[in-house]
Amino acid sequence: MKIRAFTALVVCKAVRGLAKLFGRGSSLPGKYALKICPDILAHLELPELSIAVTGSNGKTSSVEMIAHVLQNNGYKVAYNKEGSNQIEGVVTFLLGASNMKGKVLSDIVLLEADERYARHTFKYFHPKYLVINNLYRDQMTRNGHPEWIKSIIGQAIYDDMTLILNADDPLVASFGKDREGTIYFGARILPGDKLRNEGVYDDGKYCPICKKPMKYEYYHYNHIGKFKCLHCGFSRPKIDHALTETKDENGKASITIDDKYEISVFFTGIYHCYNILAAFTAATAIGIEPEKVASSLSGYVLKSGRISDFTLGKTQGRLLLSKHENSVSYDRSIDVVVGDSRKKSVMIIVDAISRKYYTSDSSWLWDINFEKLKETEIDKIFLVGQYCDDLAVRFDLAGIDQDKVQVYETVQEAADNCNNLDSYLYVITCFSDKEKILSIVTRRELT
Amino acid sequence: MTVKILYLYADFMNLYGDNGNVRIMQRRLEDQGFNVVIENSTVYDDDIDFDADFVYMGSGYESNRNLALAHLSRFKGSLLRAVVNGVPMLFTGNSYDLLGKGITTADGTFLEGLGIFNYSFKEQLEKRYTGDVVLEEVATKDRFVGFVNRAGIPDSTEDMCCDAIKVIGNVPITKDAARVHNLLGISLIGPVLLKNPNLAEFFVSAICNRKGIEYKEIFYPRSTRSHEKTLKALLETDAGKKAR
Repeated sequence: MKIRAFTALVVCKAVRGLAKLFGRGSSLPGKYALKICPDILAHLELPELSIAVTGSNGKTSSVEMIAHVLQNNGYKVAYNKEGSNQIEGVVTFLLGASNMKGKVLSDIVLLEADERYARHTFKYFHPKYLVINNLYRDQMTRNGHPEWIKSIIGQAIYDDMTLILNADDPLVASFGKDREGTIYFGARILPGDKLRNEGVYDDGKYCPICKKPMKYEYYHYNHIGKFKCLHCGFSRPKIDHALTETKDENGKASITIDDKYEISVFFTGIYHCYNILAAFTAATAIGIEPEKVASSLSGYVLKSGRISDFTLGKTQGRLLLSKHENSVSYDRSIDVVVGDSRKKSVMIIVDAISRKYYTSDSSWLWDINFEKLKETEIDKIFLVGQYCDDLAVRFDLAGIDQDKVQVYETVQEAADNCNNLDSYLYVITCFSDKEKILSIVTRRELT
Repeated sequence: MTVKILYLYADFMNLYGDNGNVRIMQRRLEDQGFNVVIENSTVYDDDIDFDADFVYMGSGYESNRNLALAHLSRFKGSLLRAVVNGVPMLFTGNSYDLLGKGITTADGTFLEGLGIFNYSFKEQLEKRYTGDVVLEEVATKDRFVGFVNRAGIPDSTEDMCCDAIKVIGNVPITKDAARVHNLLGISLIGPVLLKNPNLAEFFVSAICNRKGIEYKEIFYPRSTRSHEKTLKALLETDAGKKAR
C-alpha cells in the first residue's frame, strides 16, 4: 500500500475512533481520507463478492434486509448501516472495515449508494452486482429529475457489473436493454393493481427509449407496472423473480415469491414488497438457496421501519413516515389511509422541507394525489407547519370538503386541537419533521 | 361566459407540479364568473389551436422539451399571432428557454428557438442548476419568489427583465424572465402563481379585460401569506450557508 493511501487509512480510522468515542457517526473520516488520497478506494483489497443498491426509494431497507439474509447464512458482511451513502460515507465504512493493509475483512461488501454519487464511488471499484430499485421524482431540488438521474447512474455502470433491475419501472428496466446477463425482478398482477394510472402525473406515459406512447396492461402503483411501447417495442422484460401473491388475512400477512417461497411480513404495502423482492433477488444471485433466503426474510422487522404508533391524549394514531419532495411516497401513505375502513382523520406536516438543506420549494405537493382522500370518509384534516398555506391551497383545489380542514402554523397548535378525537389519526410527514410530533405524543408498540 | 385555457404538452411538460398553475388559473377565473374549459395539447397532435384565453406551458426533461420545441416550431406563426393579439401566456421553468433565440444542448447542438426574445441558453448534463431565488422586475420593482431547477444558464441575457436579487443554491444567474404584450416567460418551476399572486392577478385581469368583463378584486390570503413567508425566509436565509 502506498504511503499516501496508508496515511489516509490511519487518519480515517483515528477520526472514526474519536467520532465514536463522542457518540457521533458521520462521513467526516472519509472526507479527510479523500483529501489525503482522492483515489483511496482504488487501494483497498476488496472481497470478490460485492453488492451495491441504488435508486430513489427503498435503498436503506433493501440493504438492511440483504445484510440480514447474508449474516443469517453465515456471511461476514461489511455494509454502511449508518446509511452514509455518498462517497465520503462509503470511504468511511470501507476503511473502517479494513485492516491496516487496506484489506476489507469481510466475505462480502454491501453498499447503499446514493444515486448521484455512485458514479464517483464506482470509478475506483466496481461492485459485482448493482441493484436498482426504482427511479421516481425524488428530492428534485437536488436530483433535477428522474431522466437526469438515469443518465448519472448510467455513468456508474460498467461492463463487468451484473445489473439487478426492477423490471416494472420503465426507466430502470431500460438500463438492461441490450445488456446480457441482467437479472430482473418484478410483480405479477396483484389484487390492488389498477388498469389506469391514478397519479396526478404519469411518468410512464411515454417510452424512455423513443418517447412514443406506452401502454400498460396494469399498474401496481404510479408508473410501476407491466408496460409496453407501442412504437419501438420496448417492454417490461421477462422476470427472473416475481412477487406472485400478497395476503393479509386475520392479522397475518405474507407474500409469495415465484409461486412457492412464502415470506411472513409485517405489512404488505407494495413498496415494502418490492424491497423484499429486491433483497431476495440479490441474495439468490450470489448463490444462497432461495428457501434459505425466504426463511431469513420471513418475519424480519426492519430496524429502519417507517411506522410509529402513538397516543395523543384520547386520540390513537399512527405516523406514516413519508418523504417530502417525493410524491410517490406520499401517494403510498395516502393509499394506507384510504384503505383503512375505520373512522379516521389525517394530519399532514410540512414544516422543514429537508433536514439537510434549506429550500422553500413546495412544488412537489402538486404531484401528490391528495384528491384520492375524497374516496374515503375522513373526519378531520389537519394541515400543519411553515407550509400550511401552500397545503391549504393545494387541498382546496383538490376539491376536498373545506369544513373538514383545519390549518395550523405549528405542530404544537395542531396537537392541542386533535388530542381528543374519536377518530383514528394518521400523521403523514418526513424525517425532517417527525420529531416535532413524536416529541409531543406517547409512542406505543406497533400492533 | 366561457374561457379556454390551452395547456401546452400537459403530459410531457409537467415535471414539478406545474399543473398547479392551471388549477390556480381555473379557480381564479371561476371566481370571476367564467366557465373554464381546459384543452391539453400533446407533441403528437396535428395542430394546435391558439384561439385561447390563456396559454400555459411548464417544465420537462430536456429531451421532452426539445421535442416540444420541434413540435411548437411548426405552429410558430399562429403562436406569434396570438402573442401579438395579447393572449395572456405563461411559460415556466425550462419551457421559457424556447421563447428565445435558441438553446445549445449538452452535445453542442444548437436548437433554434421561437425567437420571441433575444436571449439564449447553453446547457450541460453534468450537474443541475438548482436553488431558491428572488427575482425583481427592473421596471416595476415587483418581486417573484420560487425555485429554479435547470440544465442550462443564459449565454445571452438580452430582453430579460428581472434581476436575480437573491440566490440560495447553485444557480449562476443574474437576470431572468422576459415579458412582451401579455406573455411572460420565467425560470421558476412549479406552481409559480401560488407563491406569486401578483402574477395570477395580472393574468386574470388581462383575461377579463380582453373579454370585456370588469375585473373583480378578490383577496386570496393563503397565497399572499405564502408569498410573504417565502420572500421573508429567502431574504433572511444565508445564501452560502446551506447549499444543496
